Amino acid sequence: MEVQEVIKNLKSQIIEQLNLEEVKPENIDANAPLFGDGLGLDSIDALELIVLLEKNYGVKIKDPKEAKAIFASVQTMADYVVANSK
Amino acid sequence: MSTRVHITGIGIISAIGNNIEETFLSLSECKTGIGKINHLSTIHKNDFLVGEVKQSNEELSKIAGVKNYNRTTLLGLIAAKEALQNSGIKNIKEARTGFISSTTVAGMCHSELLYKDFFENKTNENFIDSHFSGVSTDDIAGIIGIDEYVTTISTACSSAANAVMLGARLIKNNILDRVVVGGVDALSKFTLNGFNTLMILDTEWCKPFDENRKGLNLGEGAAFLVLESDEQVKKSNKKSLALVTGYGNANDAFHQTASSVEGYGAFLAMQAALKVASISHQKIDYINAHGTGTPNNDSSEGIAMQTIFENKVPKFSSTKAYTGHTLAAAAAIEAVISILSMQNNMIFPCLNRSAQMHELTSSPVSVIEKNVNLEHVMSNSFGFGGNCSSLIFSKN
Amino acid sequence: MEVYINALSCISHHNTIDDDFFFEDIPSIPTSNSLQVTAPVYKDYIPANTIRRTSHILKMGISAGLMCLRKTGKEQTDAIVVGTAMGCFEDTDKFLRSIGDNNESMLTPTSFIQSTHNTVAGQLALLTKCHGYNFTYVHQNLSFEYALLDAMLLLKDGEAETVLVGGVDELIPPLFELFDRAGHIKKTENNNEPIWKSKSKGFIAGEGSAFFSIGNKSTDSSIAKIKGVKAIQKLNTEGELSDHCTAFLNELNLKKEDISLVLNGASGDSEKDKRILNFTDTLNLPTAYFKHLCGEYFTSSGFALWLATNILKKQRVPDSIIPTKFSGALKNILIVNHYQDQHYSFICVSAC
Repeated sequence: MEVQEVIKNLKSQIIEQLNLEEVKPENIDANAPLFGDGLGLDSIDALELIVLLEKNYGVKIKDPKEAKAIFASVQTMADYVVANSK
Repeated sequence: MSTRVHITGIGIISAIGNNIEETFLSLSECKTGIGKINHLSTIHKNDFLVGEVKQSNEELSKIAGVKNYNRTTLLGLIAAKEALQNSGIKNIKEARTGFISSTTVAGMCHSELLYKDFFENKTNENFIDSHFSGVSTDDIAGIIGIDEYVTTISTACSSAANAVMLGARLIKNNILDRVVVGGVDALSKFTLNGFNTLMILDTEWCKPFDENRKGLNLGEGAAFLVLESDEQVKKSNKKSLALVTGYGNANDAFHQTASSVEGYGAFLAMQAALKVASISHQKIDYINAHGTGTPNNDSSEGIAMQTIFENKVPKFSSTKAYTGHTLAAAAAIEAVISILSMQNNMIFPCLNRSAQMHELTSSPVSVIEKNVNLEHVMSNSFGFGGNCSSLIFSKN
Repeated sequence: MEVYINALSCISHHNTIDDDFFFEDIPSIPTSNSLQVTAPVYKDYIPANTIRRTSHILKMGISAGLMCLRKTGKEQTDAIVVGTAMGCFEDTDKFLRSIGDNNESMLTPTSFIQSTHNTVAGQLALLTKCHGYNFTYVHQNLSFEYALLDAMLLLKDGEAETVLVGGVDELIPPLFELFDRAGHIKKTENNNEPIWKSKSKGFIAGEGSAFFSIGNKSTDSSIAKIKGVKAIQKLNTEGELSDHCTAFLNELNLKKEDISLVLNGASGDSEKDKRILNFTDTLNLPTAYFKHLCGEYFTSSGFALWLATNILKKQRVPDSIIPTKFSGALKNILIVNHYQDQHYSFICVSAC
């Protein structure tokens, strides 16, 4: 799996899963923060993203405390997926 | 508004016992009722520990003396009947009597078994008339014969505390002479899976107020209290078990499920309860905390307690490691446990706790305490939607 | 104790989000057996970050509540009390289906988190930063009545000066199917008479959200006053509804003749409406109907109160809701409601 490919897919998957109707994939900067500033996601979204990673990439995050670092940006998410998917 | 609010009867069923006697025995032996899932049909049977009532629905039907009701109604009926019996009420209609119940998922334990098949047209067995929250209240009220003022509250995990609060206000306003108040929730796949998606379930025994706590154990059960006015108690010449002297409800207004770091809603609820009770915080001898064992709740609640009690937090413990988190029923179950504490001069400790929480200067009671005089006891319950409630019980 | 309605809002099948809308030229037979709401522009009320994950009932409940609050000119209220019998059924349905479809695995939290019945009240508190009293009643057809009774008690005791109180329930396809297969819904081919003359079983299903800002003092903006509310858990004998009515009016120091108009909650089910129709017949007062406008749902009393308040404000009764044209002054309106011949209630609302 190529990181760039994962980044591309993640952008549209995140928009769909979190129902970000007004956002287009091309508007999401892969390195911009997802939480707080940037896309302004919150803790409920973090839980949704945990399921997204498991469902689409078979990657399981067992401890929600790890999620903060993994979900810092689309780039960090993609890196994690590539490093951990079977 | 000069009448006091007397608690004249209690009834309870949970993982630690089917009645007051069994409950007290488990508590005084520090025996948890949490264990492996037995009755609930779920793929997670071996993943989580829960506080399940030991009896099957058939067995509960026998205890309740009725047939063809769902688990929620059975649990509620058993506890309500015990409360009425404990209160010595023989003729329900002799005074203006109300019934206030509460629940989060009501008939879900039955509906969820049929849901998929119903919509795939594999069954026509319809659950619509038993699903909704008010139905188990209607059923229980109908069986015990109360029809003057009957209602159902649903504010997540603070529900039953709010039922107690409403009951007390109705008595103080001379709208009712007596009222049976409490709550009920049965285990369901819906709630087990729901809390699992929030990643706040512990796969082991929960550790309220422990630094290394991982989450909660779900539970089920029901509890009811009979509240009566001064005049009604005098008329029937009975002794009250305790008084409801304080109550408060406030909203954290921070997040749908998480509590604010400083526990502002909890602080406001406790402050309101103390104001209604007209006592200073120094008079509280013991707090039965919400203490679910989740990282968020115990931290937020602990900080709120330290704030309101000005860092001199009275003895406190959570009893959720005995019963599990029984959702809407929790506040009523814990109210009954608080009454048992007061009656028997005992404080039931936090179980499974060993490490001090770094953000708190106070520690909960971790070993059972006997011969403690408890004049005023506070019981707290906090739910989703920022709903925070606090009750104060006092010796008569 | 009387309380004052200082602002109100309603989302219903008709264009009730427009304050001037008043049911001119509305057919007396509903256009279908399922009346969905005419929605406002939800993003005018609910922030984008919240709206993306809110279900139907949350959109209706939150926006009607905020719409009402906006009309008071204040950003805050002292307390929030909501009645909803079915709660967040769309979220409940979503979560239940995913449990079944995915065999209890890979489930997402949002629909569970928002399925609790007090989510409307909780979100209103969150969005207005209201730390005050916050209760939700879920007692079937009396949910709104008990919310109102609680709100009035808060005002009486001085626990609050203003309360935002509302009733909301949603109608989504799975719910309609559940009601339909249980035999509760009127068959389309039978939907051919006004509900007060219905000869067939089943009701017209509906949904809606009505919110009121009520206070314990009369102000320049007070529109009407609620004189009393009565919730009846059970009727044991034939004449008991009349007896309850007499007792209710006595408590309010009113005689039957003081009632200008009765607003009857008949649903179109000829079987289940027998008692409520007989009752208003024997009262022999001008009687109007409302469920052909909003449909049957557990918190329809909220819609009825909104309608009654507007009738008092405008001092006229729309032709589409009353078989015999109404003339005369409107002082006191008595709303009588039920659900399937159970859980009867009275609300008395009067001109200021």
